[in-house]
Amino acid sequence: MYRIRFHGRGGQGMKTASRILGRAFFLAGYEVQDAPRYGAERRGAPIFAYVRAAKSPINERGIIQHPDLVVVADDSLIGLPAAGVLSGLTDRTIFLFYSDTDEKSWQHRLNLKNTLFTIPVDTQAVDPLQRRYAGVSCVGGAARLTGVLDQATLKKAIEEEMADRSPHTVSTNIDHANATFSLLAQHDTIIEEGAAISAVGYEPPKWLELAPDPAAICAPAIYGGGTSSKVQTGLWRTMRPVIQYDKCRQCWWICSTFCPDSAISVTENRYTRIDYDHCKGCMVCVMQCPSHAILAIAEKDADKVTLQEVPS
Amino acid sequence: MKRTLLTGNGAAAWGARLAAVDYIPAFPITPQTEILETLAYWVDNGDLDTRLVTLESEHSMITAAGSSAATGVRTFTATSSQGLLHGMEMIYTVAGWRVPFVMVNVSRGLAAPLTLESDHNDIMAARDSGCLQLHCATCQEVLDSILMAYRLAEHPEIRLPVIVNLDGFYLSYTREPVAIPDDDASRTFVGEFDSGSIHFKAGAPLSHASAVLGGSTYSYFRYSQHLAAQRGLSVYEEIAEEFARTFGRRHDAVEGYRHEDAEYLFLMIGSFATKGKEAVNSLRDAGWKIGLIRPHMLRPFPVERIYSLARGKKAIAVIDQNISMGKGGVLHTELASALYGKPGAPPILASFIGGLGGRDLPYEELFEIAKTLRDSAAAGATPPPRLLYTETELLEMRKLQAIAGVRIPFEEVHHD
Amino acid sequence: MTETAFQRQKDLPKSHLLSAGTPMCAGCGGLEAIHIAYDVLGENTIFVNAAGCMTLLSVYPFTPFRGSWLYTAMGAAPAGAQGVRDALDILMDKGRIEVADDLDVVVLTGDGSGYGMGISATSGTIDRCLDYLYIVYDNEGYGNTGQQYSAATPHAARTATSRCAYGHKGFKKDLFSILAANGAAYVATAIGSEPLDLAQKIEKAKSISGPRFIITLAPCPTGWDFDPKETMTIGKLAVRTGVWPLKEFTDGKVSHNKTFSKLLPVETYLEQQGRFRHLFEPQKKEAVLRDIQNSINRYWHEVATI
Ligand SMILES: Cc1ncc(C[n+]2csc(CCOP(=O)(O)OP(=O)(O)O)c2C)c(N)n1
Ligand code: SF4
Ligand code: SF4
Ligand code: SF4
Repeated sequence: MYRIRFHGRGGQGMKTASRILGRAFFLAGYEVQDAPRYGAERRGAPIFAYVRAAKSPINERGIIQHPDLVVVADDSLIGLPAAGVLSGLTDRTIFLFYSDTDEKSWQHRLNLKNTLFTIPVDTQAVDPLQRRYAGVSCVGGAARLTGVLDQATLKKAIEEEMADRSPHTVSTNIDHANATFSLLAQHDTIIEEGAAISAVGYEPPKWLELAPDPAAICAPAIYGGGTSSKVQTGLWRTMRPVIQYDKCRQCWWICSTFCPDSAISVTENRYTRIDYDHCKGCMVCVMQCPSHAILAIAEKDADKVTLQEVPS
Repeated sequence: MKRTLLTGNGAAAWGARLAAVDYIPAFPITPQTEILETLAYWVDNGDLDTRLVTLESEHSMITAAGSSAATGVRTFTATSSQGLLHGMEMIYTVAGWRVPFVMVNVSRGLAAPLTLESDHNDIMAARDSGCLQLHCATCQEVLDSILMAYRLAEHPEIRLPVIVNLDGFYLSYTREPVAIPDDDASRTFVGEFDSGSIHFKAGAPLSHASAVLGGSTYSYFRYSQHLAAQRGLSVYEEIAEEFARTFGRRHDAVEGYRHEDAEYLFLMIGSFATKGKEAVNSLRDAGWKIGLIRPHMLRPFPVERIYSLARGKKAIAVIDQNISMGKGGVLHTELASALYGKPGAPPILASFIGGLGGRDLPYEELFEIAKTLRDSAAAGATPPPRLLYTETELLEMRKLQAIAGVRIPFEEVHHD
Repeated sequence: MTETAFQRQKDLPKSHLLSAGTPMCAGCGGLEAIHIAYDVLGENTIFVNAAGCMTLLSVYPFTPFRGSWLYTAMGAAPAGAQGVRDALDILMDKGRIEVADDLDVVVLTGDGSGYGMGISATSGTIDRCLDYLYIVYDNEGYGNTGQQYSAATPHAARTATSRCAYGHKGFKKDLFSILAANGAAYVATAIGSEPLDLAQKIEKAKSISGPRFIITLAPCPTGWDFDPKETMTIGKLAVRTGVWPLKEFTDGKVSHNKTFSKLLPVETYLEQQGRFRHLFEPQKKEAVLRDIQNSINRYWHEVATI
């Protein structure tokens, strides 16, 4: 059985991508299971989807623990433990990244011996959420790596899954899939199907006898306040607002009032400061600042920009 | 016939479409909403000649489903979890009206705490309502069950609502290959709707759902409903037989898998049962004599069918994805009452509760359950019921509790 | 008019009580309104919530609140408020808590609950003169389940259950008038993009006793289909085009807080949102647009003649 996991962000079309690959397998005569993994998924938040394909009916269900192929449509997720890109990898797991950073660098950075391929980003859009062909480009590459899906099947799969889109959108998607399909020609059939689950030598679960806790402990109650600040919603951000203090006119902290996420605080001397651990990158502040003092830059370029200190 | 990829929700929508339903009272709730949205889209586009209305609550929705069926139209509706519970007064009520319609429930755990993910406590809460219940393991079964459910619900000796259950996420949002029967074949199979003696129109006076005074009168109506529900099994079997002849797919009231020569059995319902089958395959490869039984029909409870499959086995593990607070797994209780005192009933009936609120049921646990069965059979004693939970899970929980400001007593029990 | 601490925009709070880190969508208009409201309400508040997007504000073990929170069920929040309010009163009457331990009871629900499933529970609280504030964040649909139409969905909007060429065939319910007619002590409309007006209304509601309501239009990038950065722009347009009149009902009278000598054409508001794009593409649906504009004109004409 092929077990393939897709990673991306909400809004990057991971569901459609996994469905195109699932459909392609199905058209090629495979039994298929594909599903997006829903959580409180939001635009920009890390999400994943998976595809199983086999020649006989599939009885497995739910999350894929040990994938044969991991596809990542947004390379800014790779370094984030919360995105779980590396979870459950085995020696056999192959990686496919939509990224301008080359294979060697990734292997080095992640300290991985696994086979890894990259597909260059094929758009000028700085915001990864605007890279409309990331998903389909990954699918083209993944299809080639399996070696059992041809271009005609891929084309048909895209047409069927995007039946409600305009003909132009469909053909552009097909072009992108074809491009990556050709790009990885040398690596045709590199992915092998994973084996069935074995009941021999499994790791027994460490069950415990759950003891009754007092109600004060085991009721679903949160004692105290403000614990949500431990959640780093800054990970959702693909574009970063940057305040240029030389332009800030210290208005009545419009940016802070309008930030839906309480991510802009006001300093003693009435400047404002952005909390990047939590800013989701909605860009409301950028739009609302009356002095146009807030810049929007791509998150991946964030370390190239020196943040201005809050004036004292 | 067309075979394509559909989610469980998509399959449910197709079931309603092929059954040519007249009327769909609806209300959104995760993870059911895709059914409503798909049907609404077809209705808006003219693909489906059906009236769909979104009501303001499930209480209203189920009332409208019952009252439309009583007035004489074929009705479909769908809900999940909190919605099913919000409508529960009417679930019991409309079943007592003795009117047929089909409702899909997409299983999801119940509040509190609130969750969006799957388990069977919602549908178990409707267990005693008088609605019949079919539980699905695959997307294909969802579609097929809806077609059969209309036949069952509308059968003149039954005339009860039928609930078709599928698991949230694991089926509702998962696509699998599904054969969509042809319109004509489906229509012929399901037939025309006939609400029988109950329908409202001018010139045919009818006062329905009247109150009763006195326990005897009440008992008569209640017993009759129970007897009709029980009759549902043989009626279902005839329908399933005809379905198999027509469409080539069997959906027995109770599915047995590699059970014939098995010494041990898993008993499971819903989509995790296919995982159970996979575990059976792996265990068989490793030399085990093990199989699985899966009640597809839960109401009426197919006692005799289960008994015939379970008879002579050494041990059965019942894996419940529900929990009756203060008692344990509902299916375990039901199975025990079905087998108790019967010749050849397995001496060991072990209870495992797992998969609550979307918790996975990993293969290692299924293997370990098999091992527990074998050990218990050897020892000749049924093991205490087990709540599937691991040390790692409790450790993770303690971390969350620490964030929640819960003070954990120092002497935490550790298990080796 | 009561004294207000919010005379000018710079009187708005500088620091925010609501913590960051919640799972609401980036650019959520409802969340922005709630954070402003919370700053005015203060931490001695218990929010009683019904199922909706905001239910996920508190996901174990994470909460953004400094005060209290109770999630009930989709149709039950006002009833939940009744129990909490009555119990606090009993505790104070019997001297088991100090008056200083009292909380403001605030119901927080979406429109699906507020305009629909919960409305009989709401009406009951007005009948019983319950002393509480109810904030509806109105994102004009069942947002949490993927924006199906609700009783608050405006005419012609596309939703997940009205995807046809026409959009939603129904009309938005006038909850403001229903609550006023039911005898509420205070009813107001507000919007997060007018933070000063919102803060003043919360402050005023706090100073009144009895059943009080603030219906807050909540531009929703996910459900209304626009770029999250436009949330405030769209909110301001809702006011400037007259789609969302800012008004109050007190002492048996309705008064409008913001009136304009000339409204912007409603198209400027509609054309920014994906849910109305079908009114402009592929062809402009002039008749529908005219109907929408006429109904707004009619409303404001009546306001002017009262
Ligand atoms: C009884 C019941 N039915 C359905 C649901 C599913 N549900 C959860 S949130 C929601 C939508 C609520 O809509 P609204 O009040 O407008 O709030 P929003 O989601 O827009 O924030 C629904 C239908 C539920 N939780 N309980
Ligand atoms: S982009 Fe600006 S308004 Fe949006 S979350 Fe970040 S700081 Fe707040
Ligand atoms: S809105 Fe602009 S001018 Fe005002 S405080 Fe923020 S950055 Fe400065
Ligand atoms: S769907 Fe709309 S209302 Fe709900 S969290 Fe997202 S933006 Fe806010």
